[in-house]
Amino acid sequence: MIRIFPSLRFTSLLSAAKPLCSYSPAKSSTETNSLSITPKTPLFLRTPSHATSLSEVWKWHDWAKDLASSVEESSTNSEDVLDSVILHRELKWLIEDSIVDDPLVILHRSEIADNGEKNVKLRASLEELYDLWRQRIEKRRPFQYVVGCEYWRDLVLCVEEGVLIPRPETELIVDMVEELVTRDEWFKKGFWADLGTGSGAIAIGIAKVLGSRGRVIATDLSPVAVAVAGKNVQRYGLEGMIEVREGSWFEPLKGLEGKLVGLVSNPPYIPSDDIPGLQAEVGKHEPKLALDGGIDGTDSLLHLCYGASQMLQRGGFFVFETNGEKQSKMIVDYMMSNDLKDCFSDLKIVSDFAGINRFVTGFRL
Amino acid sequence: MVLTVLGPLAGRSFAITGKHKLLLLRPTNLPLLRLSLPLPPPQFSSSSSFVSVVFAAQESNLSVSNENETSEWLMQDFYTLRKDVEIASARVEEIRASAGLEQLEQEIANLESKATDTSFWDDRTKAQETLSALNDLKDRMRLLSEFKTMVEDAETIVKLTEEMDSTDVSLLEEAMGIIKELNKSLDRFELTQLLSGPYDKEGAVVYITAGAGGTDAQDWADMLLRMYMRWGEKQRYKTKVVEMSNGEEAGIKSATLEIEGRYAYGYISGEKGTHRIVRQSPFNSKGLRQTSFSGVEVMPLLPEEAVGIEIPEEDLDISFTRAGGKGGQNVNKVETAVRITHIPTGVAVRCTEERSQLANKTRALIRLKAKLLVIAEEQRATEIKEIRGDAVKAEWGQQIRNYVFHPYKLVKDVRTGHETSDITSVMDGDLDPFIKAYLKHKYTLAMASAVTN
Repeated sequence: MIRIFPSLRFTSLLSAAKPLCSYSPAKSSTETNSLSITPKTPLFLRTPSHATSLSEVWKWHDWAKDLASSVEESSTNSEDVLDSVILHRELKWLIEDSIVDDPLVILHRSEIADNGEKNVKLRASLEELYDLWRQRIEKRRPFQYVVGCEYWRDLVLCVEEGVLIPRPETELIVDMVEELVTRDEWFKKGFWADLGTGSGAIAIGIAKVLGSRGRVIATDLSPVAVAVAGKNVQRYGLEGMIEVREGSWFEPLKGLEGKLVGLVSNPPYIPSDDIPGLQAEVGKHEPKLALDGGIDGTDSLLHLCYGASQMLQRGGFFVFETNGEKQSKMIVDYMMSNDLKDCFSDLKIVSDFAGINRFVTGFRL
Repeated sequence: MVLTVLGPLAGRSFAITGKHKLLLLRPTNLPLLRLSLPLPPPQFSSSSSFVSVVFAAQESNLSVSNENETSEWLMQDFYTLRKDVEIASARVEEIRASAGLEQLEQEIANLESKATDTSFWDDRTKAQETLSALNDLKDRMRLLSEFKTMVEDAETIVKLTEEMDSTDVSLLEEAMGIIKELNKSLDRFELTQLLSGPYDKEGAVVYITAGAGGTDAQDWADMLLRMYMRWGEKQRYKTKVVEMSNGEEAGIKSATLEIEGRYAYGYISGEKGTHRIVRQSPFNSKGLRQTSFSGVEVMPLLPEEAVGIEIPEEDLDISFTRAGGKGGQNVNKVETAVRITHIPTGVAVRCTEERSQLANKTRALIRLKAKLLVIAEEQRATEIKEIRGDAVKAEWGQQIRNYVFHPYKLVKDVRTGHETSDITSVMDGDLDPFIKAYLKHKYTLAMASAVTN
């Protein structure tokens, strides 16, 4: 059973950091409740209630392939273009997710001595498949929203509009935690928190490496995210280990001050001015709430740094994802500045697989 | 080529002669039923086709016309048997010829003389190795002799039956049993001799890459992919294209095909190399003659836990496809490709078919290990550390086969010389003659090198 707390506003000691917490006001007007939200079912989990003749599916596939191949010629902006190689791969995955039969009947038509009269079972109507692929290419709707899921580490996570699609870079956070808890069993016993959990990706990844005694609290301000994360937690049967709570950053963690052994977060960190120039899939479709980090992108990160000093117990570990380069340096500088002096040790900047200074890690003194 | 087969053969012949004598005592007009009486009744219905004939005779053994019918039936069965014996005989002949009997004898003699050396037991491990090698060789020799004995026994029965004016069912049945048994042993022998590599039993991963030459080469790679898929289907293997990168105009730049099933790797590993096509280009309006190449790489499809080698982290260069730009939240591209290079040898694999980076990395690592194991085996290295990096540079290795579509039709294997003009069947997956020819060729080479060593 997932306990999803409705948004409660505390006047906690953390409200001292309010100016940094840019999301609180948005919440005060409407009392949203994630319990009333039913997450969408991803394509691959839907019941295959549509039967279509193979030849009709082939026709769709030809059309979709042509559309995917035509993207490069029509595009003028060289920075933000669709890549037809990637689109072809996505098309293959879309077929995998929507057809019950072996996808090869579609992908290797030349191999099949069949005139296409046979019916195949689909998880979406052909009409919807036309629509989905059009959305992908013409509207630049992210592929993960189109199929309703994202493959991340060894997980398949449900995602939908309103929830940030977990990025491959973020997989490294779980790697770091895994390395830590393998080295030191102490970290397996206490409370962990994943703030701004979105789809619940990091929380689930961490719960799996913590083992049966692990406890993770995942929070998010967005009711949609809380509902989706809850669904993902349930899908992996981790209700006993992960608790999804709705609320801004540390607010849902009241009573756990100085008790956490670990704190992780991939907060919004993109500077506001960069938002309009983002890749269409990101800028036009993903939630601003999960991307926009204020003027220099550090609003939430700075709040998290302060919160980490309050919430972590001695020896507790934290890792935050950042926009890289300058920003990670700024965070480390802030953590060594007067406000937080003597709070942390072993502050480190860890780069991602592309060599970008992506993460800041450290321990509570 | 003096063999010890005469002993058992003589004994066998004697036994048959004994039966023959018995047979001669039999009144020629006796119904067949009587003769088959020694057979235990429960086996009648299922043991062989003769038995059902006997039943037919039993029901109406007084009718003369029916008896004629019975002997006709028997004649048919006899002809089938004779044919089977001929085929088995040819097969034994072939196996004995390709096994290199003289080499085998010489080797046994060598090892035996070594074993009698006074200093033989000074190195115990070495001595054990020599003895077990000697045992293996003797076993093989014994099997080869047994095959000859068995086929000769069956031949004798056929000959006797031909000379006699009537048929002895139990004797023919014995011959049938011998042939059945012999064919089984021959199958087993062939398989263990030709497919004795450590990974031969496994499934296979076939990686096809189009060579330089644009659309023509990419189309050629696609044709090869189809050929191997057809071959796999014919063997009743499970085939799956796990990764494919399409060419711009037609065909494919590369594809990875997984073939699941016993001995898939053993059979198809010899396809590794460069495949050359000569044809009139379908992509050139002038229809000029065009030569293109495609590379085929074959690795065993090993289960994760079977790849029992550890590669030190520092020997691996793992690179991920960069989403580009600032990365992180700024970019969302479903680009999860992982490339792993084994630094000491320069062997690299790339994995793009999985939908998450971690999954691609895991799969790439398994594939890299499989690749290194195969290279280690080829170089007779016992450890990955021993692989000579300079020797693995050549990407797909030598050219192994030519496929000429124009001006004449011919598929010819460069290594074995095996050829056929039926290019359509080959492209439809009829690769077995080529595969068998190569396996034999490889076996002969191995035998020859074993002797010189």
